[in-house]
Amino acid sequence: MTDTAVATTDVRPETVDNRQKNTGWLRWVVGIAAAPAIFGAFAAAKGVNPLAMYADLLASLADPAQAQTVVVRAAILILAALAVAVPARAGLLNVGGEGQIVIGAVAAAGVGLVADQRLPGGLVLALMALAAMAAGAAWAGLAAGLRLTVKVNEAISTLLLNFIAIDIMLGLIYDPWKDASGFGQPSSRPLADTARLPLFTTGGTVNAGIVLALLALGGVWWALRYTEWGFRLRVVGGNPEAARRAGLRVGPLLLSAMLVGGALAGLAGLVHFAGTEFKLRPGMTTGFGYVGFLASWLAMHRPLRVGLAALLLAAIAMGGDSLQIDSGLPAASLNVLMAVVLLVMLGRKR
Amino acid sequence: MIFVDVLAGGVRGGTAILYAALGETLAERAGVINLGTEGSMLTGALAAYAVTAETGNPWAGVLAGALAGGLLAAVHAFMVLSRGANQLATGLVVLFLGAGLTAMFGAAYVGQAISPFQPYPIPVLADIPWLGPVLFDHDPLVYVSYLLAPALWWLLFRSRWGIVVRAAGERPEVLSTYGHSPVLVRYLAVVGGGLLAGIGGAHLSTAYANAWFENMTAGRGFIAVALVIFAAWHPLRAVGGAYLFGAALALSPALQARGYGFNQFVLDALPYLVTIAALIVLGRRRVNSAPEGLSRVFDLTPTR
Repeated sequence: MTDTAVATTDVRPETVDNRQKNTGWLRWVVGIAAAPAIFGAFAAAKGVNPLAMYADLLASLADPAQAQTVVVRAAILILAALAVAVPARAGLLNVGGEGQIVIGAVAAAGVGLVADQRLPGGLVLALMALAAMAAGAAWAGLAAGLRLTVKVNEAISTLLLNFIAIDIMLGLIYDPWKDASGFGQPSSRPLADTARLPLFTTGGTVNAGIVLALLALGGVWWALRYTEWGFRLRVVGGNPEAARRAGLRVGPLLLSAMLVGGALAGLAGLVHFAGTEFKLRPGMTTGFGYVGFLASWLAMHRPLRVGLAALLLAAIAMGGDSLQIDSGLPAASLNVLMAVVLLVMLGRKR
Repeated sequence: MIFVDVLAGGVRGGTAILYAALGETLAERAGVINLGTEGSMLTGALAAYAVTAETGNPWAGVLAGALAGGLLAAVHAFMVLSRGANQLATGLVVLFLGAGLTAMFGAAYVGQAISPFQPYPIPVLADIPWLGPVLFDHDPLVYVSYLLAPALWWLLFRSRWGIVVRAAGERPEVLSTYGHSPVLVRYLAVVGGGLLAGIGGAHLSTAYANAWFENMTAGRGFIAVALVIFAAWHPLRAVGGAYLFGAALALSPALQARGYGFNQFVLDALPYLVTIAALIVLGRRRVNSAPEGLSRVFDLTPTR
């Protein structure tokens, strides 16, 4: 009897998925066509020639240095988006990717700054990754624990924890971890060269983070599709009541989904810190957590599509930099383009 | 007196949050959560600043700010109510839209001077020791917010109109059997909430900071959303919460001005910690006092 209950809940979401798949691609096409048109209209209102602007944007993507930046950012975004996608499969909303990334970077920095001049680089990196993932998982686990014990909604608690994480980082770099030899804005001491993520080409910017991200992407895809755990997550996310009646222990499952999500976000923090930033500084959080949240929704929490969505949003975000130089529009203007793409995608009629 | 300074600063700095929180209370009472409140505050702040700069009249600015905030909230309302999009995801997208639009159109106003709202000490009342400087020596928008919170309370809990709004949040099916459209009520509540958030943003740019800069709301809209839960969807309780946040914001500059070397960021994190602590302590009771339509959002509903 329990088996039937599980089987029924499993079959129904699958049929829904198949239907979404067909209209989903159309949405992508419409979104990708409509969004630039709307954003172009805004740009024209600002006195910027939209056609010239898009020509510049595309040209900048063809520039190898810029294309490398897209890959670097996509790596972080993929991890940030997976951090949302895994809990979402179980019906949980992790809006706290930003905080989990920050706290992951802080943990990585804490370990890295202690060990980078004493231990071999590879070992330091491994320890940093462990610390970052543990910290991210703990930060997300806090929200999951509150959800499961005292029923504090995880969307709100993860959101609040974002701000606390950022304050912790700022508090550390304005005092105990402050680099005495730094100038101007306070920051932590830079990480030793040996403990940084290896680069693919000398002089390039693409680091091993993209490998970590792709491994995580494959791992999550496999785990959700082929493991008992992934199956159970889907059941809980599809119909928690049926899952409970079928004898699944919902609490530990939810906790595990959130912990995995947090660990992935923590890993994103490591990639950002040890791959690009090398030191903690105010403003190093560039909204990856929030954009990752949107990327996951854009992909309807399907791991492989998450990869595509993250790449797309990374490219749009990178376009912001060149926009600033070429058209004089502030980089954040690109948020408009990103938002319109997402509105078209989210606005499917259900 | 540091105490008076902090409290007065709490009222001054909390006012923008209060407007947004009251607006969000209205929207959530009708059953829609709007994480885009932050975006409405941003667009409100810019529109108010720009119009104040062009016309020289901050009241015209506030009007523009309210309209801008309401317009952005209307996008959220359309997505959620007419297109069936997920509320939490759409809220964040709307925030991005607001952040992007204000960055795009606000660059021209960075560093521009305006004639902002001036503090207007209320005669007699402002002279009361302690109470006077804390409550009665502010700009007019602060005084308006004093009236707004009780007005919203009265509207929600004592008027016919309030019953309709709350029914939209609790039992939309019942509402429609009485001939009202829950969707229309929710539209109005969300847009109304956006109007108020826009005024909150306007207070920031034309009375508090007297400046416009990118992303100047710095998370106040999110604080407002959390505050609504903290206040158990009650307008009067939101007042205390908003001033608590405001006071926490005012505490570190007040301490620093007196030479106390406090770690500012511990203090900055305080409001969020207090909110989480309150949510823990009040836990289940708060969730139970959520509008029914919302607790469904908060519950383990399938995400697709």
